[in-house]
Amino acid sequence: MVVCVYLPRFELVIAAGGPQALAGRGLAIAPLPGAEARVGEVSGAAEAFGVRDGMALGEALARCPDLGLVAGDPLGVARAWEVVARALEGIGAALELARPGIAYFEADGLRGLHGGEEGVIAAARGALRAAGRASIGVGRAARVGAGPTRFCALAAALDAGSRRVVVVEGKGAQRYLDRQPVELLRFRVQTAALVEPLRRLGIRTLGELRELSPAGPDALADRFGEAGVLAHRLAGGVDTPLRTRRLEDRLEESLQLGEPGSGPALERVLGVLVDRLLARPERRGRTLRAASLSARLVEGGTWQERVVFRQALSDARRMRLALSLRLVLLPAPAEGLRLAVERFGPPDGEQGTLFQSARTARLACLREAVSQVRTVAGPEAALRALCVDEDSRIPERRVVLTPYSG
Amino acid sequence: MSGSRALNLPRAVRVRAGAEGTPGTVDGRAVESVRESWLVEDRWWTEKPLRRRYWEVVDVRGRNLVVFHDLHCGGWFTQAA
Repeated sequence: MVVCVYLPRFELVIAAGGPQALAGRGLAIAPLPGAEARVGEVSGAAEAFGVRDGMALGEALARCPDLGLVAGDPLGVARAWEVVARALEGIGAALELARPGIAYFEADGLRGLHGGEEGVIAAARGALRAAGRASIGVGRAARVGAGPTRFCALAAALDAGSRRVVVVEGKGAQRYLDRQPVELLRFRVQTAALVEPLRRLGIRTLGELRELSPAGPDALADRFGEAGVLAHRLAGGVDTPLRTRRLEDRLEESLQLGEPGSGPALERVLGVLVDRLLARPERRGRTLRAASLSARLVEGGTWQERVVFRQALSDARRMRLALSLRLVLLPAPAEGLRLAVERFGPPDGEQGTLFQSARTARLACLREAVSQVRTVAGPEAALRALCVDEDSRIPERRVVLTPYSG
Repeated sequence: MSGSRALNLPRAVRVRAGAEGTPGTVDGRAVESVRESWLVEDRWWTEKPLRRRYWEVVDVRGRNLVVFHDLHCGGWFTQAA
């Protein structure tokens, strides 16, 4: 049983300063300076005027002339989301964080801890209330749903209210999914683009989508490619296992600037942050694999960039070099800078041997490349193709993909 | 990924076959010539036997294609042989 926690309009709530700021007001997250002019998440009042997330700014203002634009706050969102995630991890949940506002976890392993599924869901709701008190009330409007797969649990969470949990179980799950609108596919990056063409073809529910291709997804594959196959699988109640995040210590350093800075001034601040971060005893000699650099902008709003180092390192000079390249991307002068560790590497990441054979060096490079790819794109990003029966007359039996253990 | 998964799985393809079962068109493109054909029978001792007639053909664009007809379930598939 997968549990989905859904916090509606999470990014907008944080950017606007709390859920009460949205009440009855047409609001939307403004485009970032220099980025494409499209609005981000929108409030319910703006939705009533037909404004949608991702709509061109001009069209959004034409539909809702009183639309208020709020500067995005990726730094605040990341912090508040981390509070929610830590609260849920506090009940023992291994989380997959799909995006800020949507998280999943498996309830099966927690039944014994909390006394059945109802106990797990009650514990999750309690954790969300606690997170709401710790942050600006973000957990209060949380919706919780549960189902046999990630997709089904998401549908249940969207159906749930702030006080009502929806649990979909057993044979009723397929009937429940069949009734869901195809708009549910918007919540998956791979299938989001299918919603409009499906609507144009008159397909309104997942059940109708499934009936398009009763024998298999081949017809959908012909028309929509890989996304069509995935949509058919999701509509049929098949989904991939959860990809849960690894628990890491939180280490961060920040510095407020006396006056807004950019360019060389910020590079000096960055140098101080790097030195402070590396000097923290909690690091325990570990190297850094990935870090996030964020800033509070003088024009309002925040900016954040994730940096995956080419090699796990603890050399201040090389870190400064890699991070300072990202400072160029800052859309406006910053009032403050923050550097946080996203992922640690091994403690001996930079200990090279004096005499190393070419083969050992190549293997080390390969291990390092695999680690980098996984840090950026997830654990399934690097797999090993294993020959199991090279001479088999059945082509699909010759080679299999297996996890790469390094 | 918890376990392993097969590579090179068959992919459904639209084939119009002639009277003798020879592919005439593959995904709407005419077949210029048939280079080879072979039969694969396997797992006949199980409840899910496998019986496929493979065809290696060249289409009008000069591409080499391998398609097979599933003799148990029906349907045409393409696969790198």
